Amino acid sequence: MTAFTAMVRVSVGQLLGRKWVILVGLVGLLPTIVMFALTRTQGSARLATSFQEGPMMTLFLIVLPLTSILVASLALGEERREGTLPILLLRPRRREVVVAAKLLAAWLSAWLLTGASGVLAAVVLGGASGEWGMVGPVIVATGVSALAYVAVFLVVGYLTKWAVIIGAAFLFVWETGLASAVDALANVSLFRIGLTAFAAMVDGAPSTLREPLAALTPGVWGALAKVAVLSAAAVGGLSFLMGRRDLT
Amino acid sequence: MTSDSGPALARDATVEVRGVSKWFGQKVAVSDVTCSFGPGITGLLGPNGAGKTTLLRMVTGLLVPSDGEVTVLGHDPRRTPQVYREMALVPEDDAVYPALSGRRFVEYAAVLAGRPASGAEAAIAEVGLEGAQHRPIAGYSKGMRQRVKVAAALVARPRVLVLDEPLNGTDPVQRAGLIATFRGMAAEGHTVIVSSHVLAEVERMADRVLAIVDGKLAAAGDVAAIRGEMRDIPYRVRIGTDGMRELAAALMGLDGVISTSIGDKGLLVETADLPAVGTALPRIARDLGVRVTQFEPEDESLESVFRYLVRRR
Repeated sequence: MTAFTAMVRVSVGQLLGRKWVILVGLVGLLPTIVMFALTRTQGSARLATSFQEGPMMTLFLIVLPLTSILVASLALGEERREGTLPILLLRPRRREVVVAAKLLAAWLSAWLLTGASGVLAAVVLGGASGEWGMVGPVIVATGVSALAYVAVFLVVGYLTKWAVIIGAAFLFVWETGLASAVDALANVSLFRIGLTAFAAMVDGAPSTLREPLAALTPGVWGALAKVAVLSAAAVGGLSFLMGRRDLT
Repeated sequence: MTSDSGPALARDATVEVRGVSKWFGQKVAVSDVTCSFGPGITGLLGPNGAGKTTLLRMVTGLLVPSDGEVTVLGHDPRRTPQVYREMALVPEDDAVYPALSGRRFVEYAAVLAGRPASGAEAAIAEVGLEGAQHRPIAGYSKGMRQRVKVAAALVARPRVLVLDEPLNGTDPVQRAGLIATFRGMAAEGHTVIVSSHVLAEVERMADRVLAIVDGKLAAAGDVAAIRGEMRDIPYRVRIGTDGMRELAAALMGLDGVISTSIGDKGLLVETADLPAVGTALPRIARDLGVRVTQFEPEDESLESVFRYLVRRR
């Protein structure tokens, strides 16, 4: 096993082996509960549209950002505050490798939690209506958006212990407030990156789902490119900071 | 062990600290320290808050010096990560992953250091943790956690081993075992730097001592030389009595007594000959008809000893 793989494995174990994962898991059931309620009240013909309007928006506006912010903030921030950072950093390898391993671990953890949340809701939809085409787009879109949040909040979490509060403020003030009110700001909204990928992969995305995108063009590759740039900036930027600041 | 350039500088130095200072805002934690470390065990001695941990963190690259330069095996550890193939730190903090077993933790440390995970078995045996190696670290005692941290450092077989208060929380048997391990490494030519605030611990381990207080190098040399410097220190004793004024006046007549002062907590006596005061006190008290309820040396603390050394420099 390489050092990189070992770091990812141990970090994923640390992030998912916490008691708060139970709470996150319960919040993650929200889209499924909403979907289940919809299957009781609506006919199967409209369920696919309702899935995108209800459970998907719950997933992208609440479950995914909160989960990803929490996981990313802890990934390096907790190591720093608990004094375990020397275990990772006083090693014969570049800091970029450590940051990249932590980014990957946080992303896999966040994606597992949020992806499972979305897939479960999509399975309820599939079981009720026979529409199974949402599963793939949900997996891709949650992966893309989770990476966007993780890339940003890995850095914030390292720099401050208030990252989760900053993240919550960012979510409610910026993402659902300003970026929703001003079309031009949609371009710098994290959850919308995954949403553009999702909208590009499903046929006939409803207006409820398209509205938040404003002028953004749905597209998988564009979304992937954005998160790739964000991730590279996070790894490069944080490694640069670590090289110039105290590591305790 | 020391070079001609002064007792703070080691021969065949592997770690060099040149004019290093570190300040956090207005607080100066380490002030213009120049010293070096070579093969063998060097004790970094000083009271709590003296700047030992800050100095060791700069040596290992965890902290950026505000001024001065640190090199390990000729390289700045912050710029040359390959140095960490040859250097390991046992931090003072509880720097472990509680959810991992001791065995997994040491294996992880080995892999991160670029060594085979199979080396974990020997490292764990070296610190005597075989029986507990498969239990989660969360259930370890303080002493066991110290030992698993040492094992995680030993598994890399570093040429430079930096230990920050490694004996904290260990019992006498564990302490003896760890000291034997460090001595073994030193005998093999490794550079071992051990910080401690307990003089007796350092005496048992180190061939050479650097004393640090208030962020400054207070004394350096072999253990006997440091002890010699401490021999001239005036001692202060606090005496509890119901006849402070009479006793103070009588004690001033003793050879070696420098001063007496009456305070809230008793009579404070400064003397160059502590045993003489201890011997004479019962007789004087009896003659004066006063009762002595307390006789407590105040200057036994390392802090006051080192402050004295700093004042003398």
